Amino acid sequence: MEAANQLIFFGALLVATSILAGLFSSRLGVPLLLVFLGIGMLVGEDGPGGIPFDDYATTYLVGSIALAVILFDGGLHTSRSVFRLALWPAISLATVGVLVSTAVVGAIAILVMGASTLEGLLLGAVLASTDAAAVFLLLHAHGLEINRRVSATLETESGINDPMAVFLVLFLVRMLQNPGQSLTWFAVEEFLVQMLGGAAIGIGGGFALTWIVNRIEIATGLYAILVAAAAIAIFSGANAIGASGFLAVYLAGIVLGNRPHRAQHVISRFHDGLAWLAQIVMFLLLGLLVTPSHLVKGLVGSIVIAVALMLAARPLAVWISLLPFRFNWREQSFIAWMGLRGAVPIFLASIPILAGLPQGHIYFEVTFVAVLASLLIQGWTVGPVARWLGLEVPAQPDTRERRELDLPGVVDRELTGYRVTQGCGATRVPFADLVLPRHARVVAVMREGSVLDQQAVTTLVPEDYVVVMAPPEQLLALDKLFAPPLDLGRREAAGLGEFVLHGNAPMSMLAELYGLPVDAADQMLTLAQYMRRQLRDTVVIGDRMRLGSVDLVVRELDDSIITGVGLELDPQEERLPVLRAWRRLRTLTGQLGARIRALVGGGGGARP
Amino acid sequence: MEIHDLITTKSVVAALRVTSKKQALQELAKRAAQITGIDERQIFDVLLEREKLGTTGVGQGIAIPHGKLAPLTRLYGLFARLDRPIDFEAIDEQPVDLIFLLLAPESAGADHLKALARVSRLLRDKATTTKLRGCDSADGLYALLTEARASNAA
Repeated sequence: MEAANQLIFFGALLVATSILAGLFSSRLGVPLLLVFLGIGMLVGEDGPGGIPFDDYATTYLVGSIALAVILFDGGLHTSRSVFRLALWPAISLATVGVLVSTAVVGAIAILVMGASTLEGLLLGAVLASTDAAAVFLLLHAHGLEINRRVSATLETESGINDPMAVFLVLFLVRMLQNPGQSLTWFAVEEFLVQMLGGAAIGIGGGFALTWIVNRIEIATGLYAILVAAAAIAIFSGANAIGASGFLAVYLAGIVLGNRPHRAQHVISRFHDGLAWLAQIVMFLLLGLLVTPSHLVKGLVGSIVIAVALMLAARPLAVWISLLPFRFNWREQSFIAWMGLRGAVPIFLASIPILAGLPQGHIYFEVTFVAVLASLLIQGWTVGPVARWLGLEVPAQPDTRERRELDLPGVVDRELTGYRVTQGCGATRVPFADLVLPRHARVVAVMREGSVLDQQAVTTLVPEDYVVVMAPPEQLLALDKLFAPPLDLGRREAAGLGEFVLHGNAPMSMLAELYGLPVDAADQMLTLAQYMRRQLRDTVVIGDRMRLGSVDLVVRELDDSIITGVGLELDPQEERLPVLRAWRRLRTLTGQLGARIRALVGGGGGARP
Repeated sequence: MEIHDLITTKSVVAALRVTSKKQALQELAKRAAQITGIDERQIFDVLLEREKLGTTGVGQGIAIPHGKLAPLTRLYGLFARLDRPIDFEAIDEQPVDLIFLLLAPESAGADHLKALARVSRLLRDKATTTKLRGCDSADGLYALLTEARASNAA
């Protein structure tokens, strides 16, 4: 009894302390997850806590559940548009990329640490999965928002490379346990069963879960519990029949998250909290599990692997995986640098120990150092690197003034409350002239605690509370109406060009007005059509192209239609001298070409 | 391209009284007509045409309306400090109180863009705009606009 209570007390205290310590981490700029890990280590056997903990089986059990919860939550918050933007690049990164990363790390482990081929590959596979959640946590802590093509790719990649890494690790462990067996064909077959089975169970399970949630009537809070339990059941059910539970639970989350369903906010917030708890518990446990004094012996080798992973394996994997897709060098560099390693590799590193492989603890120790290095170095540089590569885009309107409420039984309308802020769009026009997004309706206006007669409201004033019923997809438009005006310096506001142009502005007029070199054929187009032609198939905010001496920058998108373009008059020169020289060379050859064409054309014209 | 190539003391207005974007453009067109000798209506139409492509309210209370006019022989600037800020449909949705009008000849080419960039860079400087807002004489404004070149030249 006493022991049980002590365990509960210290467990709860540890989690609470971690969360409070997290508060300081954002002020100090220390990556949050590192704080959890650090607390775990302090409590552990080499720290003042002195608790000896080396229960790999418990770690594996808790880690599996935690990872399933984190992946499900990741899926739940991955919108269809993100998925559409990034699916193929992410699949390429999660398959080809994972294999390349595994091979490179494997080769270096063989060279440096004298591992056998299989052992090297196993270490590579353990270190292959990335953690985008950590990247976004860090970006948001810096108040940064990055180019959506890049963020969507990193996010989706980290969701689907976990199942791949898990598969590889389990497979290689089995190979090591049964030496001499030829498993090549078996591997392909098993891979297909794992992935296709996982996908089928995940998607099917997601639809079934949505259907159930929308059919039954239970207390609101129970929906969230039901969904969590079902998610873990989908995860373990898939595992039980030899399919990938991690893939299944991630896809189930995506399906549920993108279909209208009841109790959306309760479910979403509950899983947010649950995913946080899972992250905390996982890092605490991993911090507890490691014995820092054991790391010292192989430290040099571990550091070599960590550096090789960051500077060779990841960049190469990203470069090869993204070859078929048109990412520019800035985007590729950021994706390559932000292959942050989180809890998953440490969790995977406990598998060789559990499997009783000889020297299993080496995987754990190397991985621990590599993850620590990744959290430290990449974690601290994420903000500056994003800025330096020019991938930063202005933040979306603040949603802090929004309060969401679930309507019992209604799935395609949301009741949302907004506190009216000083200077927001809604205060600048008479209430009667307020243009709301389609199908949105003001349900009530409250001032000083009492509901006003809507006919009597002339204009909204700050501190009013407006309740709006709207379809979920219109919430972003509503946010813009009620959010406080962005208080950015003009430099930041002009980060996407100083002048704005409508997407439907005719190219002929722009070419005329600014003397831009636009081909005769393109003069018929609107600005939006022209840019879409010149840019890639998927356009995101912040995409830019050079035209004459100016840059055209995508400023606003409505779904995939370019509605606003920034005109940047004196675009920044490339910061890397090599690229600067390259650009000059291209301009020069372009001019030369034009001059030759003019000469030839002019000569032809002169002699009839 | 420097600011003093674009404006004279005569093309600076210290406290323009207008209540709307349209009225501001009309008033500026009228003054530009006096300086350039071109029909006021023609200038106004060109400015309005440009606003249709997207607002020239660049944020932080600044607007840089501009356009091209065939009869001009060189670039002309006109600066107005408004008596009271007006809604200019600016990108940051904030009211505008400093307006720099720029008119370019048909043949301006790269000079037009250079002048626009120069004006934009000048008015991006917080210290300069604060001083401009605090100054209520045309001569003072002219001095502020043209002196900034030394520190801002790039």
